[in-house]
Amino acid sequence: MMTRVTFSLRRTRLIAFNTVREAARQKLYGFVGVLAAAFVLGARSLRDFNFGAPELKFLADCGFGVMAFFGAALVITATAQLFFSEIENRTVLTLLAKPVWRAEFILGKFIGLAFVAGVFCTVVTLLLIQVLASREAQLLRDFPEASGLGAFVSYSNVIFAGVLQWLKLAVLAAFTLLVASFAQTQLFTVVTGFFILVIGHLQYLAQDAYARGGSWLGRGMSGLIATAFPNFQLFALADGLNVGEALPWWHVARVALYALGYIGVACGLAVVSFRQREI
Amino acid sequence: MKSKGLTLLLAIVSLVVAGAGLGKFVEPVWRATREAEPALRLDSAAAAAGQGVTLALLGGFRALVADASWVRMYVAWEARDLPATETLLGLVTTLDPRPVYFWLNSARIMAYDFPAWRIETAGGFTAVSPAIQAKFKQQQGEAALQQIDRAMRYHPLSADLWVERANIQLNQLKDLAGAAESYRRAWQQPRAPYFAARLHGELLRRAGRSAEALAWLVKLHPELPTNDEGAGGPVVLGRIRDLERELAVPANNRYQPAR
Repeated sequence: MMTRVTFSLRRTRLIAFNTVREAARQKLYGFVGVLAAAFVLGARSLRDFNFGAPELKFLADCGFGVMAFFGAALVITATAQLFFSEIENRTVLTLLAKPVWRAEFILGKFIGLAFVAGVFCTVVTLLLIQVLASREAQLLRDFPEASGLGAFVSYSNVIFAGVLQWLKLAVLAAFTLLVASFAQTQLFTVVTGFFILVIGHLQYLAQDAYARGGSWLGRGMSGLIATAFPNFQLFALADGLNVGEALPWWHVARVALYALGYIGVACGLAVVSFRQREI
Repeated sequence: MKSKGLTLLLAIVSLVVAGAGLGKFVEPVWRATREAEPALRLDSAAAAAGQGVTLALLGGFRALVADASWVRMYVAWEARDLPATETLLGLVTTLDPRPVYFWLNSARIMAYDFPAWRIETAGGFTAVSPAIQAKFKQQQGEAALQQIDRAMRYHPLSADLWVERANIQLNQLKDLAGAAESYRRAWQQPRAPYFAARLHGELLRRAGRSAEALAWLVKLHPELPTNDEGAGGPVVLGRIRDLERELAVPANNRYQPAR
């Protein structure tokens, strides 16, 4: 008699671990990581190009820019590549022939990708803190009178910014995985992933268009975009602040729950979609 | 086929329901974020979309890309290439509208350099008639004011922008009343320079509105700190006395400083 196989966190973890290992083997991701690190460490040499913005803010902007730009490129390409490599190499057939749930496969892939994004954001955040701290110390040595004005940089803010960027990348990975679950080609997944990134940043305009009213078709379309896509502008909370300003923790907590909500829905839909896919 | 359609419908309904709930949950944070970031409150959909795409594609890198474009703009500026300079000024302020530096200097270039370049291209200051020169100054001054208006959408509390607006109105457009009003608006902004308030009074006087100028300075003087030389309390008091003499204010009605 056949016994029903229950959902296993252990198998999910193994798939996640394998996803991380596959990502680590890819030279491209290593190259993106090294390039990002070089940008953050080299940001000080670029400060001669800085006009108008305070120097530490400029350095922080460069760091957040590295996280957002290279992070998005890394997550979208890694999600598409690691998902489709399983299909193209037929390893998914071997895997799913065993008592493995498709939900375990999707969740394992997502957790692995979120881990890769987490490592990327952690490394960039730590490098950015190091760069900011060393420059701040130098500025305080050169201008000791400025120390009376308090700390130049709120490091908790920098950490919050890193966490928020990671959450944004995790949401992006979940949505890209959702696209990959039904897409026929890797290229389509990558292009759609970038579209989702852009739409997520423009989502608030759809909110405004919906609130302004207009034709029922326009309202319907803008309402659909405003509710179906996450608002990625929310994840740049810390970027907009001056480096010395503190970010309320409850803002970060709410945005984190918002991200988890979207991750849950996108991964759930990816599971439903993948269960119907013929491999 | 039917199953795929159902899955698509399920996906859309799930995302819309989840998005509606999550959107409500995060609403206070979004409201606070928008309050703090004028770029997210732009009236123009095209400008807002431009900002959104820039943020999406460049994120924090937009500062670096804007800085590099500003350096490139100087190359065009040195060559007195008006179209290229104008294009790059627009590009820089679109890429990164946060530094007031870009807005101020782009407005100055438009107001003061562009008319000179246009006059030179048309034959030089001696060959071009004063009327044409004035026309060029007027056109470029107005273009610079439009640039400052755009800047104010991003920096609604910037005293520097109001001061620059006043300077252009005064020096290029010879609009005394407009400049006086802009200096007054500058004075209303946080961390406004004291000279903005003094200049408002001075321009009212020059415009022949001496009584208004006197009332303004009398109101201003008690607000000025005595321990800050830059506040120019004695200068303001001196101007009050000049205006009282000019307007023949009776001795018993003259302003008496409390300190």
